[in-house]
Amino acid sequence: MKWITARRRHPLAGYVVVTLALALLGLGYAVVAPSAERAQAQSDAAETESAEVDLANGRELFEQSCMSCHGRDGRGTASGPSLYGVGAAAVDFQVSTGRMPSTNPDQQMPRGEAVYNQEQIDDLAAYVQQAFGGGPQVPSVPGTEPQRSEFDSEAAYEQALEEYEAAFEEYISGGGDTEAGQKLYMTNCAHCHGWSGNGGALTGGRWAPSIHEASPRQIYEAMITGPGAMPVFNDQTITPESKQDLIAYVKNLQYEPNPGGVFALNRVGQVAEGLISWTIGLSLIVACAIWITAKQRAHD
Amino acid sequence: MTTPAPKGLRGVGNFIDDRFHLAKVGEKNLRKVFPNHWSFMLGEIAMYSFIILLLTGVFLTLWFNPSMQEITYEGSYERLNGVQMSEAYASTLHITFDVRGGLLMRQIHHWAALVFVAAIVAHMLRVFFTGAFRKPREINWSIGALLLVLSMTEGLFGYSLPDDLASGMGVRIFQGVLIAIPVIGTYISYFMFGGAFPGEDIIPRLYMLHILLIPGILLALIVAHIMILWFQKHTQYPGKGHTEKQVVGTPMFPAFAVKAGGFFFFTFAVIAGLSALVQVNPVHLFGPFTPTSITSGLQPDWYMGFMEGALRIFPNWFDIDVAGYSIPTGVLLPGLGSIGLLAIALLAWPWIEMWITGDRRHHNMADRPRNAPTRTGVGVAASTVYGLLWLAGSNDILSETFSINLYATTWFFRIAIFVGPVIAFIVTKRICLGLQRRDLETLEHGYESGRIEQLSSGEFIEVHRPTSEDSVHVLEAKQPVARVSAAEVDENGVEAPGNRKAMGRLRRALAHWYTKDDIPFEGAEPHREPHAVPETVAVEERSGSETPEEPVKTP
Amino acid sequence: MTDNTSNHDNTAGDGARERILGTPSGTEGALTEVGPGDHRGHSGPYPAAETHTHTEEEQRKGERVAALWFTLAFLAGIGFLVSYFLFPPGPDGEPAIAAPAIGKLSNLALGGTLAVALFAIGAGMTVWTRRVMPHYEVSSPYDEMPSPAAEKRSFSDFFMRGGEESGITKRPLMRRTLLLSMLPLGLAPILLLRDLGPLPRNELHKTPWQRGQRMVVEGSEREILASDLEEGGMITALPSVPEGEHLTLDEQAQSVILLIKMNESEFGERMTGERLNWTHDGIVAYSKICTHVGCPAALYEQTTHRILCPCHQSTFDATNAAEVVFGPANRPLPQLPLTVDGEGYLVADGEFSSAVGPTFWDAERDV
Repeated sequence: MKWITARRRHPLAGYVVVTLALALLGLGYAVVAPSAERAQAQSDAAETESAEVDLANGRELFEQSCMSCHGRDGRGTASGPSLYGVGAAAVDFQVSTGRMPSTNPDQQMPRGEAVYNQEQIDDLAAYVQQAFGGGPQVPSVPGTEPQRSEFDSEAAYEQALEEYEAAFEEYISGGGDTEAGQKLYMTNCAHCHGWSGNGGALTGGRWAPSIHEASPRQIYEAMITGPGAMPVFNDQTITPESKQDLIAYVKNLQYEPNPGGVFALNRVGQVAEGLISWTIGLSLIVACAIWITAKQRAHD
Repeated sequence: MTTPAPKGLRGVGNFIDDRFHLAKVGEKNLRKVFPNHWSFMLGEIAMYSFIILLLTGVFLTLWFNPSMQEITYEGSYERLNGVQMSEAYASTLHITFDVRGGLLMRQIHHWAALVFVAAIVAHMLRVFFTGAFRKPREINWSIGALLLVLSMTEGLFGYSLPDDLASGMGVRIFQGVLIAIPVIGTYISYFMFGGAFPGEDIIPRLYMLHILLIPGILLALIVAHIMILWFQKHTQYPGKGHTEKQVVGTPMFPAFAVKAGGFFFFTFAVIAGLSALVQVNPVHLFGPFTPTSITSGLQPDWYMGFMEGALRIFPNWFDIDVAGYSIPTGVLLPGLGSIGLLAIALLAWPWIEMWITGDRRHHNMADRPRNAPTRTGVGVAASTVYGLLWLAGSNDILSETFSINLYATTWFFRIAIFVGPVIAFIVTKRICLGLQRRDLETLEHGYESGRIEQLSSGEFIEVHRPTSEDSVHVLEAKQPVARVSAAEVDENGVEAPGNRKAMGRLRRALAHWYTKDDIPFEGAEPHREPHAVPETVAVEERSGSETPEEPVKTP
Repeated sequence: MTDNTSNHDNTAGDGARERILGTPSGTEGALTEVGPGDHRGHSGPYPAAETHTHTEEEQRKGERVAALWFTLAFLAGIGFLVSYFLFPPGPDGEPAIAAPAIGKLSNLALGGTLAVALFAIGAGMTVWTRRVMPHYEVSSPYDEMPSPAAEKRSFSDFFMRGGEESGITKRPLMRRTLLLSMLPLGLAPILLLRDLGPLPRNELHKTPWQRGQRMVVEGSEREILASDLEEGGMITALPSVPEGEHLTLDEQAQSVILLIKMNESEFGERMTGERLNWTHDGIVAYSKICTHVGCPAALYEQTTHRILCPCHQSTFDATNAAEVVFGPANRPLPQLPLTVDGEGYLVADGEFSSAVGPTFWDAERDV
């Protein structure tokens, strides 16, 4: 290893390593990459809702909204990273959470209203996957709730909603191992996203967002793609079953009613409790003291 | 004229008196007078919270199992079924989800603890700013300071018992601070924890401290505190008939006893109301403690916030490494130094102030804070430091809520901790002096009535309304700032030898700083209502050094 | 004080009076006063001048209001008792309150009725003192604190004589041996505490990691292959133990690590020689326990490679031997040497680079 150590500081060393790594990655991908049939089988599940994707539409969307920052060839510009190897899951995550298309490439984007509907996102994701390759696929996990605007008739919407809810319920209740889900969440996620999933502060003015609004699929995708400063938790380190346990733990915790009271202080915890004890607790008692001791005088 | 006592009551009274000879003492104590003011009831809030804590605490011990034995939970709270946890945590879940009213009692216990310490702090602020800690009450003040520090420790240990994630982390930080003590730290930690962290001993040991030893000491100190108060009688604010020799207020029997009793119910009601409506310390959501898990936004209860803040903002610049041995001052100074400094400063303040001013008189009249501008300034400055540290203890929440760089918040607090108190002191003192000037003007010239009249000479004047008799009493009660130490020579005209030594010079400098700014009221002639009989005001000779503000020209 | 006509709220023509902050407020409700002239009927325990009684009509009204509060308290108290039985255990003995949604109702019902009952008692008692009982302004002297000089002298004299007579001052042998006799007993309690725990010896420098021991993702049984991690990846790991055994919490606290994989080109200047050999293919393992006061420092940002401790925000540079870049910690996170075994699994390759956990006196000494 000595020769590496000696040449590590060479100005070109970084590029060499990156190139080697990329080559290795490409090679590895070619070996590991699912064959056509397997890929088909994998994405089948995800695409049952929208039977077929429209790559042309995906390309159009890409050109409309993504190209200005990520470049015509997807190799990235000063204001946006390369899309090579990011994969469909990253696109689905970023666009369905409304973080992309971003209005301010210099800042961490908060979660927002998705600009495109699921069908369009699927097209875009498929296009990016096809054009730039690599990266994890969209997992077959319940995604965002269907929106009324995506359907022509009320009946179709209601049916889709019902199916979605059933799938959601099945996924969440399928996480059988609370112990594993809790351990994984508390040791790998809670230090940023907090015990209640409220999020938390990172360095440099960034923050770990709240995960309350995230759908199981978005949580899954965030783990396998590592958006922003978040590290990657791929399917080897945390298996899909473990991920289901983890997501089930988070969602069950989130949806559990608060037995302690109508006001749960947004599950912020001790800071909020301290504030309440002073501002409401002590003040109300003092108000009573003022009533008890208020002046009663017959003279002046 | 008086109704004779009913037979039954007389029987009981005789029974007791036959054995304790209490008739005279009893009457004297039932006649004890308590001055009326809402701010005199802050200490009572603390006392009542303590009673509530004892009541609910006893209830909780009936089910709580302070054991760190690891078990697999298979109780009625479904979400955590199959999770590894300690017996302590499992029994807390049992209290919450199997014992009817258990959750309510737990929440009352926690809210009462938060209110308990808050009331102590509010009570101490009141006593400090009104100078009620002065002779002869310094010892009672010091007992109060001990009560504060003990209560914080008691709270910290109680917080640690359920063995949930947040409480376990509190214990971890406690251990991290202990082990940092040079030379003996590792021994203290090993003895305390019965070996390595977390071990299996710490919760049973903290439990003993939390339910037996510390509450016992607290109870003893509270009793002493109240007995001293009872014996010395309460201070009072200035008012008609209120003097250093005479207290005016509500007698214990029948009125004050009923008032105080009612106030207990109010305190309990507010805490019960909070517990019914607002969730506190939801340990079932945090999950059990493991030393490998952590959550963002982790905070101690509010009263440990200042220590947490100190730990966060104190840099590692002063850490000492000598020959491979480490003295982590970045842990020791904020972790042990902050609470030590708080305790010592509080305990010593009455004597420090007495030393500076040389004021050894007895004080039964409370100061209005404005009339002791330097003390008030010092108090506000100290509160500012405390408040900033407290805020710094939640800097991650601030950073996240207001999207500020996390490190920027640290730096802000590192600087503000020095600048803040200075500004606070100056501003407070100026406000106090401004209020004094206005008081003097009110005393001498009454209130502006807003009514403009034209004199026959053509001059317009604003008619001033006279100061009410009550206000005159309050305003006139201002005493000149103690200048006892200004008497630097003894009766023979010889300068005390100590004055020339370094301590003496320091003392003189401090005394000058402490007393230099004051608006003297001596000789001010109150603008009274015409029909009120002016009481004789002792007009002392004016101190030559300072003259009062030029009186505003008024008709 | 007793001049009833000097009530300014009645005589002053200009309505509400301005009040300075901190001075007493004006009259709240009119009270009749038993003046000095008409205390013939006065039978209270305190002088008539210090007792301001309410009119009979006022008192009657007050009584009714207080009674209303007490009745409310009674009803709420009944409500509290009823609330207890509103949420009984199910047929199989399962408590209804085990479901958080039901628990919330139970808590609300019990707490709400309790709060109302307590408040109503307090309010009733307050109305009682304020509207039925007279308002007292009793004056009473403060006791002179220092005793008169003669009393002090007498006490001192008495005390010294007694002391003298007892022999404690005159007989030093007895006095000194008495003090001596206390000494060992005074030390005994400290000695008795010795068995609180073992001596630390060099235990704090040891962890359960063995050379060649594989790693598992905490929360699962999966042993980790070097190829499992991808760049930008992180995972919390523990030593792998044989089937059926498990790590105690003590062992977990000593051995827990963060496995981080980054591009080797990002390694900083401290990752040379030995340190670099402790990594494998950009995978590096650090102790997860912060060197400040021991929280798990786990907040790894894959963009900046900082590891932040969420408790006190000590920040370590994962690319550079976990050197402290911000915050109160002083010591880098200990690094665990790692390598791969024949089957491609990540294994430990020795002990941590220094003692794990919060910094103590001899943490950096080689023992």
